[in-house]
This record gives sequence, C-alpha cells and structure tokens, in this order.
Amino acid sequence: MDESNHELEQATVLLLACARGDGTAFQRLYRLEAPRMLALARRLCGDPGLAEDALQDTFVQIWRNAGRFQSGKGSARAWMYALLRYRLINQHRRVKRHDAEALPGDDWPDPGPTPEQCSLEADQRQAMQECLRVLQTDRRRPILMAFYHGLTYEQIADTLAVPLGTIKSRVRTGLKGLQECLRL
Amino acid sequence: MIPDDKEEQHLLIAEYVLGLHRGERAEEIERWLATDSEAARLAVHWREHWVGAAELLEPARLPPRLWRRLARETGLAVPWWRGLWQSTPTWRFASAALLVALVLAVGPLRQPAPVYTVVLQAPGEAAQPGWRITVADNGDLRLTPLTQQAEYRADRSVQFWTLENNAAGPRSLGLVEPDRGLVIPAEQVGGVESGQLFELTLEPPGGSPESRPTGPVLFIGRAVAL
Repeated sequence: MDESNHELEQATVLLLACARGDGTAFQRLYRLEAPRMLALARRLCGDPGLAEDALQDTFVQIWRNAGRFQSGKGSARAWMYALLRYRLINQHRRVKRHDAEALPGDDWPDPGPTPEQCSLEADQRQAMQECLRVLQTDRRRPILMAFYHGLTYEQIADTLAVPLGTIKSRVRTGLKGLQECLRL
Repeated sequence: MIPDDKEEQHLLIAEYVLGLHRGERAEEIERWLATDSEAARLAVHWREHWVGAAELLEPARLPPRLWRRLARETGLAVPWWRGLWQSTPTWRFASAALLVALVLAVGPLRQPAPVYTVVLQAPGEAAQPGWRITVADNGDLRLTPLTQQAEYRADRSVQFWTLENNAAGPRSLGLVEPDRGLVIPAEQVGGVESGQLFELTLEPPGGSPESRPTGPVLFIGRAVAL
C-alpha cells in the first residue's frame, strides 16, 4: 500500500473515531488533512483570511457531524473536501480571482483526442490525475478553473474571453472524456 | 428539470459535483440525488475521483493560531495552565539552567537568603529572562525586573499570577508596574513549592475581570528550590 492510500485509510479511521467523540483523533485528522485543504481553500476563495475561516468552519462541521459520515459511501477525504468546496462555492464571497494563476496540470502536454487510452489500473484518485493529464488543454483548463477556483460557466467564459456557449461545450466534452476515461 | 436521457443525466451529475450549478438548480439536483440511488452512486464516484485533483496541490503550512481557534470553538482546548503543568521537565530544566547562568552573572544573592527562585521568561524565548522572583526563608516574595521592559499600552495592566495546583486554578498576586519590582508579604503569597508556576499576563486596565488570566502571557517560569 503506498503512502497516499495509507493516509486515505487513516483519515477514514480517524473520522470514525471523531464520531465517537475522540478529540485526539480529531487533532490528528486536522494535522493530516488540513494542510492540503487549506491550499484548496486558498485557491477557491483567493483570500488567505477567508480561506482560514472556511477551513475552521469546515472542521467544526466535521467534528459536529462526524457521525453522519458513512464509510460505505466513499472515503473520509472525499467527504471532507466536499464539505469544504460546498461551503466556499456557496459563499459567493470570492474577493479576488487568480485568473492568470497557474493551475496544477497547466503544464501537462496536450496529447490529442485520445483520452480513452489511459490506464485504469491505478486507483480512483490516480486515475483522475491520469485522465486529466491526457485531456486536451482547451477542455482541461476550464474544468480545472471550476474545480480549483470554484468558477461558474459564466465566470470561466469571462475570464478566458471565450463565448459562453463555447465554454459550455468544451467543459461538457471534457467531462464526457473524463467519464469515459474513468469508466463511470 | 432533470433530463430523461441517461447521458445527459451523467453530464449533469459531473457538472454538479464540479460545482458548476448553483442556487435553485443545485437544490433541484440535490433533491434528485436524494431519491435516485444510481445517480447518487455516480455522484459519489465523481467526488471520490476529484480528490485526485486536490492531491495535486502542494499542502499549505498551517498557522498555529488556526488550531487554537478550532480547539476553542469545538471545546477541545486545554487550559493553558494544564498544558504547561504537563511540560514540567522542560520548564524545570530551563529554569535551572537559567538560574545557574544568573547566579554566575549577578553573584551571590543578597539577604535574606532565598529558599526559592524563579526566572520568568517570555514564552518560547528561554534564553531571554525578563524577571526574577526570589522567595525568602520568611516567605516574602520579591519580583525584580532583569531587563528594560517593553512599553505596554496605557489601557492595559500587567498582572502577576501563580498556580499552586491545577484543581485550585491560578491565583492573582496583584498588578505590576513594568520596570518596577515589588515585594509581596508571605501571608499574601501563601506557601511556595518547587515547580510552582508564576507568570505575568497582559490584562485590561485594573486587572483581569475574571478570577483567571484573560490576556496573553508575557513571562512565565517555575520555582526552583535553592
């Protein structure tokens, strides 16, 4: 088992312990997951102070609602990231856009229209990284802008100065490519 | 409106998990996911896959204040005196080492002969003693500044505290004027024991409104028997 998978399982074990009121497990979970969640929050809201507030609110929510997490419906990490993204996306308080900021995956080569060729031997998370890697740049970039910056179709179109219909078409084609690559 | 076409449904779920739908449209999709187990299963898979994209980010350094805030809000914060009480070896070692350095630096201490001494240091700055406490054999306590103290705002007071044991909690020994020492009679000090905690905190004018410190710790140290 690689380190990433070990961490993923560890997070689930710790979250289940939180549901039993284990404060030490909560602190360990925070140390394990909060650094990358803070990085994501900073990307999503563009303001360090708001990102910290959102992270704090999310962890309070995690502590109070740990009992609602069901391990049969995915990993603890996915559940926690979803809480954070949902909170930030619905705040509508983005104060600064990092429009020109490089996104993870920006420098990946454009492989041409063959997203289905990717290997699905790896686990789900690695599979997503591989599938994004082989997605064409003009489809990958607006998708990553939505994921990392929480932008809507309209905001992406505005930022890239591309007509809204074109952006919608690229995103949906890209998502379809990901869906096929991930075999969903 | 949720499309009937399966392919369109899949795309809608992918868009939703990505956060591209907001407001009423998002609420409509959530209601659908709550009733359609196949759609919900697909949403869970998408959510799981997107963790892979989040893992491409370089983890951020967590500011220590963030955990303190979180611990307070969740009720998991440990009272400062309990945390310090648990780190006795560190404090004893630091106090003893500084005591030796001070004795060498300032020479024999004057009469009456002290039975306990405490070196108060700024938290996290063990090499910078700020105040010295000596407790004489008659029980009187003398607090002496070792360095020029920082100027504090006029609307703040510096308060002197001791903690004899966790159960009783901290006890105020009065207010302190920066740069001015003071002597506290034995009856006010009470008994002093080896390892007893002393500290100076910054409080509202006139001192803490509560029976415990409410402001930041300026200097702290433990009693060492001579």
